[in-house]
Amino acid sequence: MPLAALTILLPLASFAILAVFWPIRHTGRPAAWLSTLTAVASFVIALLVLRDVAPMGAPPELWTMPWLVHGGRVIAEVGFRVDAVSASMLVVVTCVAACVQVYSLGYMSHEPKPALGRYYAWHSLFIVAMAGLVLAPNLLQLVAGWELVGLCSYLLIGFYWAKPSAGKAAVKAVWVTRFADIGLMCGLVLLYVETGGFAWEGFSWANPGASELVAALLFLGVMGKSAQVPLHVWLPDAMEGPTPVSALLHAATMVAAGVFLVVRCWPLFEGAETLLVAMSWIGAITALVAAITASVQTDIKKVLAYSTCSQLGYMVAGLGSGEMLGGYFHLTTHAFFKALLFLGAGSVIHAVHSNEMGEMGGLRKKIPLTAALFAIGTFALAGFPGLSGFFSKDLLLEEVAHGGQWGPLAILLFVAGLTPFYMMRVYCLVFLGEPSEKSNHAHESPLVMLAPMALLAIPAAVLGFGAGSFGELLGHEYHFAVTPVGAAATVAGLLGLGLGYAKFGMGQLASLELPGLAAFVRSGPIDNAWRLCWERGLLPVARNVGWFDRYVVDGLVNFSGWITLEAGDRIRRLQTGSAHDYLYAAALGAVLIAVAGVVGGVLA
Amino acid sequence: MTGPGLDAYLFLAAAMFAIGLFGVLSRRNLLAVIVSVELMANAANINLVAFSRFGVHPWGQALALFALALTVAEVVVGLALVILVSRTHGSLLAGSLRDLKE
Repeated sequence: MPLAALTILLPLASFAILAVFWPIRHTGRPAAWLSTLTAVASFVIALLVLRDVAPMGAPPELWTMPWLVHGGRVIAEVGFRVDAVSASMLVVVTCVAACVQVYSLGYMSHEPKPALGRYYAWHSLFIVAMAGLVLAPNLLQLVAGWELVGLCSYLLIGFYWAKPSAGKAAVKAVWVTRFADIGLMCGLVLLYVETGGFAWEGFSWANPGASELVAALLFLGVMGKSAQVPLHVWLPDAMEGPTPVSALLHAATMVAAGVFLVVRCWPLFEGAETLLVAMSWIGAITALVAAITASVQTDIKKVLAYSTCSQLGYMVAGLGSGEMLGGYFHLTTHAFFKALLFLGAGSVIHAVHSNEMGEMGGLRKKIPLTAALFAIGTFALAGFPGLSGFFSKDLLLEEVAHGGQWGPLAILLFVAGLTPFYMMRVYCLVFLGEPSEKSNHAHESPLVMLAPMALLAIPAAVLGFGAGSFGELLGHEYHFAVTPVGAAATVAGLLGLGLGYAKFGMGQLASLELPGLAAFVRSGPIDNAWRLCWERGLLPVARNVGWFDRYVVDGLVNFSGWITLEAGDRIRRLQTGSAHDYLYAAALGAVLIAVAGVVGGVLA
Repeated sequence: MTGPGLDAYLFLAAAMFAIGLFGVLSRRNLLAVIVSVELMANAANINLVAFSRFGVHPWGQALALFALALTVAEVVVGLALVILVSRTHGSLLAGSLRDLKE
């Protein structure tokens, strides 16, 4: 069994202990420490695994055992596959998970003890699920992990279950992703039918047309999990969960599972040209729509949620270029700086006890460390030259340009300017300006919350310089060079930062207001469109089907029951119970048989 | 060979069977019903003996003897039932036995 297996088994042990032995779970902090220790251990092991892993192209380290066996034939295996893709993703997942768990020790410290134990049990389960997904040797295990992270998402969004909105958001997340998973399941079944297995490489298609269809069906699932327009509606609502959960699941890792699936199954997607073009457009439109929506939100977590959505669109558009390195590298850097931003937002919320940016302001002096760390995240996301987001965005846009997809490229360049604009808006509204009443009572978060943020800030800042070795690991040459596209993105980014600061930091540029658009975007047009689909489309159909079921199907069933009862009631009267009546009937029968025999004989 | 022919025996048997059937259907008293059933059974025995006598197969007479023995056994059971019925119902009228209906 490879070393990487421990990254699953340790959290699994922690989850099992916390799940089964409820007295331990109810101790609260010790339970939290148990879970956190396994998470940190997983991170250390993942680093060791990454250190030793061979670059892409070398045969992967495989450890499997038969799972589904039918008639002596192994249908699917379960186990671990350690190669460059899984090892790098494993580090991202475990690093963010470990940081978030340490951070939660401070952020969730006011929770009741049993709730804290429950929270950490689910966090452990999440690492198990996510590592199982990442290390999956075949698509079936990947989908099993996929479903498990979905379950963790549901449980953790609904952590404050006493709040009706949290429960609704949890259910909504399940509904939307499940709807998209219909496509994933169909793709999985089709893959098995066509190739007789669940592998993503190492076979040839008997029917070449099916390969693109499989990829397209799998991509439907990706659209749900990675919140692509129009299936992104669950992600902003998922912010009902605790902020560290948003950082881990709904920013860094779980929502990136969709993008990871595309990277993992790259041999399936690589040749699907039509699908790749569609992916570029869907990703670009998602990036644009979500960025516009993020610009008008007043809730700090909602801004970050839409920003996540937008960046996931970036990744999908990057993968649509036909090269996977840019999308995957952006996933990696995004995981770090977006987790950092969410933890920063959590630190702010922890300080002022509000999500509304209107109630914040001037926090830079009150909580300077959080402000500094948040600024690193902001500038990394904005693509400020030198920070990680700059390199990954540059690489991604370069690939899109190389793929010749000019429409998506133009949209992505515009979003490259819009992203710094709305992030600057957040920074100005929260940290600059006049302190609000709530800001005056703010206190800096404890070290247990700041330390993980500082740890995340390191890769968020400097990971970009690792782009070359990252590309080497994945078998792609990459050297940073100044190109027209990269320059345009950088200019757009700086322009966005400048405009954002001018508007929200200095109160200039009143003409930049678009009240009509803002009101329209805030009203949630896509949510409303779904609601309309439901009310006008699904509900009438459901009503008619319901009518048919109640009156026709149930009617037939009830009629057969009624006729049986009625007939029984009538026929019962023939049974008098008197032996003589039966004898009469027997004699009559004998006479009838005799008559029939005679008549039959005469006729014959 | 003198005496009545096969037809005469068969007519006798048919008449006895018809009388027995009539008795079973018309009499209300269980004892009379049992006697009528005996008549019907003996009508069948007459047929067996008659066919045997007129050369179909000699074993018919043996079969008639067996049938007689069985009839006796049946009557024993029947009479025992009649006694039980008279004890539990206090009457021997077949019309009063409607327990099957309930």
